[in-house]
Amino acid sequence: MATKVYALSTCPYCKMARKYLEENAIPFDVVEVDMLTGTEREEVVAEVKRLSGGTSFPVIDVDGQVVVGFNKPKMQELLHL
Amino acid sequence: MSDSAPRRRFAPGTTADDLKAYMAPFVARLGYKFNTDEDFVAMVMEGEIEVLERDGDVYCPCRVRTGDPKEDLKIICPCIPFYTDRFSAMRKCWCGLFIRMDVEDGSLLHGVMEAPAGEADVRIAATGDLADGQGRVVAVGKRKLALFRVGGEFFCLDNVCMHMWAPLGEGYLEGHTVMCPWHGWRYDVRTGATDHPDADVKTHPVTVRDGEVFVRI
Repeated sequence: MATKVYALSTCPYCKMARKYLEENAIPFDVVEVDMLTGTEREEVVAEVKRLSGGTSFPVIDVDGQVVVGFNKPKMQELLHL
Repeated sequence: MSDSAPRRRFAPGTTADDLKAYMAPFVARLGYKFNTDEDFVAMVMEGEIEVLERDGDVYCPCRVRTGDPKEDLKIICPCIPFYTDRFSAMRKCWCGLFIRMDVEDGSLLHGVMEAPAGEADVRIAATGDLADGQGRVVAVGKRKLALFRVGGEFFCLDNVCMHMWAPLGEGYLEGHTVMCPWHGWRYDVRTGATDHPDADVKTHPVTVRDGEVFVRI
């Protein structure tokens, strides 16, 4: 199972979501979008918009299924927790 | 941020408390207050201050600026005015930094991300917005309603005269009767009833709590 978290360094819900994954021992990759610059940032923002339809964080991609926000029930469902 | 010119409205060194003092009266006019969960508020405000220090302007700490001002201004913090009806039904703003004035324990609303299904109480005014014997047009999302205050009580009707769809909220109020501003059709604001056959207007239940007026819709 591949889990990727698109996060902002300033966003409390991103911190909560990351903590939740860590507590449940779910391995995940994280991209702090606001720490990126230049074309890399533009590309990742475009990717986030494509995945989530917006620019709100966190955006959590679990094997191609996307959760926007720290939505615990949805995360539990996708991660079989 | 480097790729869009910041509008510096806050002096360098602005603290979370400064920002809170700036925001509180603004959201109070919209019927909201800071979440009663102080730890949560502190966490969000910490993010707001990080954004302010970095970009020179406040912005939602959970959103990224695209660099396109038109796109970026779609949601600023506080974002309550953008989703008045939805947030009123959720009793909180999107992230929960602000909660509806009548909510006692904001920590119980963490994780609420959708408006409850079906009808909900939506805040449409503060009691002080209307003097007795006054009416006005209020908006709930894209929908317009007519709100009247008579004898200290509030009454809400669809904002449509059944004659030629004039805005009833702009009509003339005499006792419990509103007269349409275009051709004078008369409706009882308590029942929506008129003398014209099959032309009654729909009413909506109104409740008043802590100086705020809510309509069930």
